[in-house]
Amino acid sequence: MAKVPRNFRLLEELEKGEKGLGAEACSYGLENGDDLLMTNWNGTILGPPHSVHENRIYSLKIHCGPDYPDVPPEISFVSKINLPCVDPNNGKVDPGKLPCLMDWKRQFTMETILIELRRYMALPQHKKLPQPPEGSSYS
Amino acid sequence: MALPKRIIKETERLMAEPVPGISAVPHEDNLRYFDVKIHGPSQSPYEGGVFKLELFLPDDYPMTPPKIRFLTKIYHPNIDKLGRICLDVLKSNWSPALQIRTILLSIQALLGAPNPDDPLANDVAQDWKTDEKAAIQTARDWTSKYAAPE
Repeated sequence: MAKVPRNFRLLEELEKGEKGLGAEACSYGLENGDDLLMTNWNGTILGPPHSVHENRIYSLKIHCGPDYPDVPPEISFVSKINLPCVDPNNGKVDPGKLPCLMDWKRQFTMETILIELRRYMALPQHKKLPQPPEGSSYS
Repeated sequence: MALPKRIIKETERLMAEPVPGISAVPHEDNLRYFDVKIHGPSQSPYEGGVFKLELFLPDDYPMTPPKIRFLTKIYHPNIDKLGRICLDVLKSNWSPALQIRTILLSIQALLGAPNPDDPLANDVAQDWKTDEKAAIQTARDWTSKYAAPE
């Protein structure tokens, strides 16, 4: 298999995101539409049903560095959330606590991470955790 | 994985007999990924500029076209803000008989003949249609600002 270079991989992800071909409960797009390096992205996760997150919409920031997708992106919540894999001070997702970031593979995408985070929110041990007020953000 | 003969041949020829005003050099660690430079054609608003592009030959090349985009900012109705190019031979009119060389020549020709009736960058195409003279001046300004030779 040919190794798709970073930029063409990100263009594929962008097109998939723009056309809404991905999972319905997650979305992502470029922070600035004219960022030729495609480094900074916004993501959203619709809270999973039958959990404290139901009907909430969470915003995230994703940073794809020059070595993406050989290394995972940095990802953090903008909306406040109480989850064991999220730093309560700044919303950063701890790459040592989310399986897809721990065992990152080149074929994983930003969507992979968003979907896994959503699943993580719905885990039996997480779905009833008390949450900060809806609409609050890390500054 | 071994590189298909077709790609090796094309690469060798690009190096041995480069097209005037165009260079394409494969990355050492990925021979399907090329750094491309195209000189703006003379008598176009892009004259004097050197534009960087990146080109990638996907697994099924030459059954599917190369992927290519501008890395240098450019003001052109058929090139969008992310450097993506609207060109028929990169999409529906691709044929395996075409090559990297012919595609790069087509892109150079596109710089010499912008086509605002088949736009990718709608705002730029609109400028081009309402005030062509001003649009050409903007294209010139961007060329000297972003595409100055090193």
